[in-house]
Amino acid sequence: MAGLRQRVARLLMKQAHLPYVGPVALWTFLFVIAPLGIILYFSLLSVGPLGQIVPSLTLRNYLGLFEGAYAVILLRSLAFAFGTNVICLLIGFPLAYWIARCGGRWKTTLIFLVIIPSWTCYLIRLYALKTIIGHTGLINSILLSSNLISSPIDILYTPFAVMLGIVYSWLPFMVLPIYAAVESLDATLLEASEDLGATPFQRLITVTLPLTKGGIFAGTIFVFIIALGEWLVPLLLGGAKVMMAGNLVEHYFIRVGNIPAGSAIAATITAIALLVVYLGIKLGGQEVLERVT
Amino acid sequence: MNVSSMTNKILPTLSTLVYIFLWAPAIILVIFSFSNNRFGIKWEGFTLQWYFDVANTPAVRDALIKSLIIASVTVIVATIAGAVIAYGLYKYRFRGRGLLRSAILLPMVMPSVVTGGALLIFFTRALHIPLGYLSVIIAHITFSIPLAMFVILGRMQRIDWSLEEASMDLGADILTTLRKITVPLLLPALIASAALIFPWSFDDFIITYFVAGVGTTTLPIYIFSQLRFGATPVINTIGTIFIVLPIVGLLLMHFLQKKK
Repeated sequence: MAGLRQRVARLLMKQAHLPYVGPVALWTFLFVIAPLGIILYFSLLSVGPLGQIVPSLTLRNYLGLFEGAYAVILLRSLAFAFGTNVICLLIGFPLAYWIARCGGRWKTTLIFLVIIPSWTCYLIRLYALKTIIGHTGLINSILLSSNLISSPIDILYTPFAVMLGIVYSWLPFMVLPIYAAVESLDATLLEASEDLGATPFQRLITVTLPLTKGGIFAGTIFVFIIALGEWLVPLLLGGAKVMMAGNLVEHYFIRVGNIPAGSAIAATITAIALLVVYLGIKLGGQEVLERVT
Repeated sequence: MNVSSMTNKILPTLSTLVYIFLWAPAIILVIFSFSNNRFGIKWEGFTLQWYFDVANTPAVRDALIKSLIIASVTVIVATIAGAVIAYGLYKYRFRGRGLLRSAILLPMVMPSVVTGGALLIFFTRALHIPLGYLSVIIAHITFSIPLAMFVILGRMQRIDWSLEEASMDLGADILTTLRKITVPLLLPALIASAALIFPWSFDDFIITYFVAGVGTTTLPIYIFSQLRFGATPVINTIGTIFIVLPIVGLLLMHFLQKKK
């Protein structure tokens, strides 16, 4: 009897974390894992002639992703996610580097000026961008009144506008982790490489980039995932001409009510996103995790 | 020298251009919110008319109240939940700890359309709960918990836990220790987490759009419904509020952290 009580007591001791961990674990299972499971399940079903869901398993929804318009949209999403990522890196790295190394006592203010826009409602920011690049927008009126062009140029509803919108919205998420990485960079290493005769380019390749790898990977993961799942940017700035995978998800879930088709696309972009996270952590090492968390 | 010319000229120029790119649209929007132009896209003299119009639009007031309610509930629940789970993850080593941490992190690395879409299907097809306040608040709490958890975990790694032990050794019970020691120690992180989550919840459009159903028009949803009618000065004025609010929040957070 005493032995049993002891065993129960020991078991309870072992489970002492449960009151703290249990509720959120349960919440996460219920509202993160289970919804993903549901999506995965629905993605394997199909829709009957009356719009009803047919409960027999099929891979048709996934095979359909490799055909015609779907394939184009999926490939475009990947291309945009990759392209905007490269642009964000090319702009974001120098900016983060400049703030961290040359910002001096203005460092905090300068990094805040990068973060703040990403903290304002992104719907509003995209609307603001849209009115500027629109047909009668600021850019066209300036170009027209300065006689650089004779008729308004089309910026809105082009692939360029969509990529511009993605970079505009998510650049801060690239700058922040890189800034943190450059910040913690040991300045003496840079000086040493310079003293040893490294050219600026050599220094960048052999010292700065390897040591800020964690930040670069973290920023890349963030921007790639967000860009891949974009829906609002193509909706507002791309119109019907430049759709992305996220638009298909919304189209099927909300406008048409074809849950299996939408689920297959949602599952596919989630799988790609998770693969990118996995690869990023694999290649970028533990550092990435620390930057992300 | 090559290095200094690079860092002295090119980098500042590029950085300035990026700042202009990031800020110009928002600043122009704020300026046009005071313009007398009916479409809010040209400067035609100063006016505060649109602000009065917005204040007198019942739909805007309704949406604002809904957004405030949702953001407040989300902040309170998510911050408490985040603090509790952070405490559990920080203090205990148990099987599946790493896995749990990754699972909680999941909403942060999932595209928002997937989070919103999956929750929509889950609510309507599995739980059969009507879309409205409840579904929106659940969705907001779900994407806010990881934020709260990491802000608070970060603080937990830096505070002096011996104070807690000392309090217990001196005979204080768990609740007293919690009230007098642990919570005050964590307070900056709790405030930071709330300051972070509030704008996230208040601003969120995509996930809310999926799970709101027809009735629950938050402010971003209201703005989106107005976009259909093209450019209006009303969007500029609400947008200005949206731009100013997080700036105030971030400044507040910054000064609070500086004080500690």
